[in-house]
Amino acid sequence: MSDDIAFWLAYLTNGKHLTWYASFQFTIFAALAGGALAVVFGLLGATFRNSRFAPLRLVGGFYASIVRGVPDVLFFLFFPLAFEQGMEWLLATQVCSPGDIAAQTAAWPPCQKANWLLGTPEYLILASVSLGLVYGAFASTVIHGALRSVPRGQLEAAQAFGLSARQVLWRVHIRQMWIYALPGLSNVWMLIVKATSLLSLLQIADIVLWADRLGAPNFLPTVGLVHDDWRWRYYLVLFVFYILVTLLSEKAFAAITRRVGRGVLSEEHN
Amino acid sequence: MKSILLAALATLTLSTALQAQETVRIATEGAYAPWNFLDDSGAPAGFEIELGNAICAQAELTCEWVINDWDSIIPNLLAGNYDLILAGMSITDERRQSIDFTQNYFPPDPSRFVATAGAGLDFANLSGVRIGVQGGTIQASYAEQNYSAGNTIVAFTTADQAMADLAAGNLDTILADGAYLEPVVTASGGSIEFVGEEIMIGGGVGGGIRKDDAEFKSTIDGAITALKADGTVDELIAKWFEGRGPYFAE
Repeated sequence: MSDDIAFWLAYLTNGKHLTWYASFQFTIFAALAGGALAVVFGLLGATFRNSRFAPLRLVGGFYASIVRGVPDVLFFLFFPLAFEQGMEWLLATQVCSPGDIAAQTAAWPPCQKANWLLGTPEYLILASVSLGLVYGAFASTVIHGALRSVPRGQLEAAQAFGLSARQVLWRVHIRQMWIYALPGLSNVWMLIVKATSLLSLLQIADIVLWADRLGAPNFLPTVGLVHDDWRWRYYLVLFVFYILVTLLSEKAFAAITRRVGRGVLSEEHN
Repeated sequence: MKSILLAALATLTLSTALQAQETVRIATEGAYAPWNFLDDSGAPAGFEIELGNAICAQAELTCEWVINDWDSIIPNLLAGNYDLILAGMSITDERRQSIDFTQNYFPPDPSRFVATAGAGLDFANLSGVRIGVQGGTIQASYAEQNYSAGNTIVAFTTADQAMADLAAGNLDTILADGAYLEPVVTASGGSIEFVGEEIMIGGGVGGGIRKDDAEFKSTIDGAITALKADGTVDELIAKWFEGRGPYFAE
């Protein structure tokens, strides 16, 4: 019995499993960075839509309606690739001599000097930006609605006190907007958390990829422990992880709602 | 502002490009034992890892291993993410259109069918059968060409996933490399067996290289020739493929 425990303990702490446990950092990083960027893009999108300058309004409206309609998997594949090649093209215009371009036989990049190697850190950042862009579009509609929900009287009162337009925006409008935006934003956050399971599409060895690798049946003693298809056991661990994240997020959002609700006139306080 | 950004990007890229010149990056799948797999410590291991390290020692190169999914392994070579593919890749004319190959380091080897014991498949006229293959392999295109009428060809991302579905009863048979299947059949203790006949496809297994890397190709080819001559390749094949060979002894 104790032999069994020792065996499983050793198995579950071998290098492969430790790498799997470590790979949770990629998922957590992508969720947090993606979430932060989504709020930034959401704020930008919403203020663009409220702008008095028509082209900005158009950009904000375009962002909210178009990006929301693109499947996240597609955007996840499209954006990093387009960004990488765009950067390489930009770099090529600066560093490639005509000789270099002539020496290059492959279709891409234009010359070898303009080749940009993407590793896990770069892909992780691009993945976070992709998440931020896609879910920022959702956040922008949430924030747009929340900005409209702040009672006009509050803004007029602030103006009457002599606050500048910028002060009204940041200290009153956006400050009070959060209480209306949080329920919607918590929804967007849960979508982002779920979308982090796509990281392996970008060659990031994330929790899903490792669960696949560890659970795949192994027939060869030279490779490691011989076992059947164990993927569902590893997927079960991922289920539990995502459910834990959900529960923690709910608690966190409840705390944040209490915090930003202080001193704000809302239905709860009426 | 724009020029600062570009200069920063240029130095960043140039520094990575310089590093790339010093180290040769080799891509493998890491899910195709005993060719290449991840050992218990999570590091790449197997026949091609030992062979690749021997090639690098022979050619006096510093090498670094990159794990890349099978289905994007050629596109990412072309994109310059690495310089060499050692991933049990058969040399075919179809692949030659996009990449170059080194000389083979594993001789042409028959592809074979496996099924669970007692499945009783009639290979003379196969119909209504679910055939599992790994997507983007020579077996996948062979199955599409020869068995797609009346049968269902199911493509998997890794060969291991196909084996899992055979064990789960979702497939009737799998078509794959004989050298990959042999240890699986041996280790299954009789529950999985070879069926049907052997099929010769592919020109052996070689390393994948970008077409513009002629100098690099001759370096690697030279190292493989030397390793074949001194018996290293045969030794490694015998070690990882249960005493097969020798194939390249003079």
